[in-house]
Amino acid sequence: MDEHAPFSWFSAVPLPLSASTALFVALLLAAFAWAMHRRLSPTDRALEPDDGTTLRNVGEAFVEMIQGLAEGVIGHHAERYVPLLGSFFAFILVANLIGLVPGFAPPTADFNVTFALGVVSFVAYHAYGLRAHGVGAYVKHFLGPVVFLAPLMLVIELFSHSFRPVSLGIRLFANMFADHRVVEIFTDLTKVAIPVVFYVLGAFVAVVQAFVFTMLSAIYIALAVSHE
Amino acid sequence: MKPLVQRVVLAALAVVLAGEPALAETAAGGGEGLWYKGLIALAAGLGLGIAAFGAALAQGRATAAAMESIGRNPNSADRIFTPLIVGLALMEALALYALVIAFFLQGKV
Repeated sequence: MDEHAPFSWFSAVPLPLSASTALFVALLLAAFAWAMHRRLSPTDRALEPDDGTTLRNVGEAFVEMIQGLAEGVIGHHAERYVPLLGSFFAFILVANLIGLVPGFAPPTADFNVTFALGVVSFVAYHAYGLRAHGVGAYVKHFLGPVVFLAPLMLVIELFSHSFRPVSLGIRLFANMFADHRVVEIFTDLTKVAIPVVFYVLGAFVAVVQAFVFTMLSAIYIALAVSHE
Repeated sequence: MKPLVQRVVLAALAVVLAGEPALAETAAGGGEGLWYKGLIALAAGLGLGIAAFGAALAQGRATAAAMESIGRNPNSADRIFTPLIVGLALMEALALYALVIAFFLQGKV
């Protein structure tokens, strides 16, 4: 392995590679959303489903999947959190999969991008928890069940909460970075036929990591919002 | 079709074996700092090996439990698959933390 600057179509753009690819992914998703809006806005035609695999059916199946996930984990009022969870899943899935297309590097193979996603998840679940419980009751959750354990519990809870965005970011980053490097190395080593196995692994890991990130964000939201 | 299949397989093998790059060996640096680098290299390799061993052990137990419960109730396979995958990804993440550290250490060798 000589140099470590991979080629990408976005190398010409004067932004860091992960930022330009992430913007491209966001543009793709925005185009998809606009196409969905065009197909769903005439409401008299939107009630009956289409035949086969159309863009609308894909979008509706996706939203139903996220809604099922949110309802299973969070319970009641789950539809408030579906936009955020759907955004996480869609962005991370497309960002991971775009690394498998020759000439693109996955933006999630950069720790800055994945840590930013983790920070968004962190801020989001705390905001939802504060909105659901109010400031005083939410801070009381950090103090634990019994009042004389409060200092110890506060330290433990603060540490475990602040580790969450880091763990979300590192999990996604390490999976995508290692996977991209493995595909790169094996394509360099054996040029024909064997990299296909690693492409399959890469596709599987891309979907699983997007799902795990979304599922963990849903679980953190459920823990923050739960009423008991 | 058999001679054609044989020729295609031989051609693929030839491309694969001919494309193997000559792995250049880096010459040894200064004699004094070399054993520190040896320790760092050893730490990177062994740390990742131990982490992979622990992760494989735990994932094997989780998958065995999932297989047993699917065997007991084959209709529950779909409902068991999702929590199994999530659990495997969480255990995998612990091994990946060690991989990140191994990358840092390997950069210092």
